[in-house]
Amino acid sequence: MTLEHYLALSAILFAIGLFGVLTRRNIIGILMSVELMLNAANINFAAFNRFLHFDAAVGNTSVIFIITLAAAEVVVGLALVMAIYKNLHTVYVEKYNILKG
Amino acid sequence: MLEYVFILPLLSFAAAGLILAFGKWLPWKGASLGIAVASWGFVQAAMLFFKALQGGLTLPYEVSIPWFNAGFLSATLGVYVDGLTIAMLLVVTTVSLLMQIYSLGYMHGDPRFKRYYAYVALFTASMLGVTISNNMMVFFMCWELVGVCSYLLIGFWFEKASAASAGKKAFITTKLGDLGFLAGLLFLFTLTGTFQISAIMEQAHAGLLLPGAAAIACILLFFGAVGKSAQFPLFIWLPDAMEGPSPVSALIHAATMVAAGVYMVARLYPVYALSTVAMDTVAWTGAITAISAAAMALVCFDLKRVLAFSTISQLGYMMLSLGVGGLTAGMFHLTTHAYFKALLFLAAGSVIHAMHTNDMREMGGLKAKMPVTWITFLLGTLALAGIPPFSGFFSKDEILAAALARNPWLYFIGAATAAMTAFYMARAFVMTFHGEPRDAHKFDHAHESPLVMTGPLMFLAFLSLVSGWALARHELFEKLVSFEGVLPFGLAEVSKLKVEVSSALLAAVSMLFGAWLYKSRPDIPAAFRKKFSFFADMLDARYGLDAFFLAFVALGDRLARLLVKLDFDFLDQIAIDGWAWLGLKLSQLQGRFDNAVVDGAVDETGAIAMAGGRLARLAQTGLVQNYLLVVAIALSLFAAITFLI
Repeated sequence: MTLEHYLALSAILFAIGLFGVLTRRNIIGILMSVELMLNAANINFAAFNRFLHFDAAVGNTSVIFIITLAAAEVVVGLALVMAIYKNLHTVYVEKYNILKG
Repeated sequence: MLEYVFILPLLSFAAAGLILAFGKWLPWKGASLGIAVASWGFVQAAMLFFKALQGGLTLPYEVSIPWFNAGFLSATLGVYVDGLTIAMLLVVTTVSLLMQIYSLGYMHGDPRFKRYYAYVALFTASMLGVTISNNMMVFFMCWELVGVCSYLLIGFWFEKASAASAGKKAFITTKLGDLGFLAGLLFLFTLTGTFQISAIMEQAHAGLLLPGAAAIACILLFFGAVGKSAQFPLFIWLPDAMEGPSPVSALIHAATMVAAGVYMVARLYPVYALSTVAMDTVAWTGAITAISAAAMALVCFDLKRVLAFSTISQLGYMMLSLGVGGLTAGMFHLTTHAYFKALLFLAAGSVIHAMHTNDMREMGGLKAKMPVTWITFLLGTLALAGIPPFSGFFSKDEILAAALARNPWLYFIGAATAAMTAFYMARAFVMTFHGEPRDAHKFDHAHESPLVMTGPLMFLAFLSLVSGWALARHELFEKLVSFEGVLPFGLAEVSKLKVEVSSALLAAVSMLFGAWLYKSRPDIPAAFRKKFSFFADMLDARYGLDAFFLAFVALGDRLARLLVKLDFDFLDQIAIDGWAWLGLKLSQLQGRFDNAVVDGAVDETGAIAMAGGRLARLAQTGLVQNYLLVVAIALSLFAAITFLI
């Protein structure tokens, strides 16, 4: 197992996440895709920390930080989705246009 | 004494104002004040006159005070007194005084008695101003004021339509001449650079004026004299001026104002004497006036108009005299004429006062009723006809002698005029005072005038009797008025005695013939008139000059109407309305341009911005995924570029 394997996995994961973000109409799906992309980044951080700076902890710290951030993000995001859904009764993002002039 | 001359016109001016303002409370409604001022003027003038004759005055006397400065012109107000001035002063003050005394009777009971005396005082003041002014500007102002007074006094009885229009006619006709006068005055000013008479005369004496230029100025100035002194062809106003009261005719239209033109020529004599052309213009105008006016007097039946024509004729005589170099003779005739013509007018006024008519055909036989008027009129007639030893004889003979010395033709015209004068005066005298009364009713009411009227008549008769003889003796008048300069032409030698004898004989024969004709055989002139009715009608119509000037005025009127038409129908339509139309059309065009181009540009700019906005809005879908897609594509591209490079 080399660094390149991890990077490739991370890239694939990121691409899947990006594709999901761009194509999903469902807000929940988009949020899930965003999680995928965050986790792709996490894999990168962890892999670079493991192979390039074995003694350091900064990569891992960032990973922990991002996981926390993602958890918080999901909290806020899902709360927002719930609030919007209560108003609009839909989860399709193209319908979320009530701020449009 | 000379120092106080300037007071004379000022005092008269003041008197005019005072009479007009306070006349109601003054004795005789202000006439007393007028007469008092005139008497004082007369005394002053007479003292000056006798002193000057004795050589007790240093002449010429001049004094002036600054008036105003305008550029390089410093105008002055001042007095210029020489022998000429003194002679004229005496004439003006004498006739003014006597006429005012006479008017007490003549104008008695007139509703505008007070105003009459105010006008007369104003006239006297202006005339004195003309006489003593040392400045052509002031001279001209007074000259015009005299014209205004003449207008006011001719139209004094303005209830009569004929009097009102006669006043207008006199004013407008003389104004026609005054236009030339003003032009001449300004031209003379451009030549000499001064209005001061003494300075102009000095320049003329020193030969600083070109004779040609001086001639133009003189002829233009002479237009003024032609109007004022009723010379041919502007004399048409004077016969109509007889609509005014008789004393006014005596003062203004016989003795003083009409002599102002003669006085003006005499005043500027050194300038006139520079050129033969100017002198000949004066002489021939005078000669033509003299004979044509005398001819008109032959057929006239209005007593005052006969005298008016005679006045014109005699003024022509004076001009003739000035034009042939006889300054002394001309001014001498002016003086004597003023007295005997004023006498004749006042006597005629006395007759008219008694008869209430001017028409000689309704008179006759008045000798018995009005002895004083009869004898004074007779003396005036003899003086005018030139019978020795009356005053007219002396002055007229000097004129004839001067004319003969210059040009025999002028002498013949003068002599013929003299013969005609004697004839028509005999005719007027006989028709008025002798023969059978032709209107019994009016004759019965006729009576001799009161002393206040006959007194001045007698005094003037006395002057007519002695003034010629007294002043011609030892050439007294020549000491007062004479021309020291050089005449532009030579004069022939003439025998004065021959002229005197021949003209006296001519006048006497002509007068006796006239008297006989109208006394014993009045049928002959009547038949003669019928036979040559063409000439009589022509003379009655004043050679058609009235009609000519009327046609002239009518032409002006028609021209004015044409111009009005042109103005309204053409100029207003094209220039005013046309401009407005053009402006409107231009505005419309501009409006269209504004709407289409300017507003269009503004609108298009807006439209472009809107279109741009619409285009830019396409990108703003509001769908986060679209934005993200763009971001992703861009990032991918950047990444790809980074890798490739």
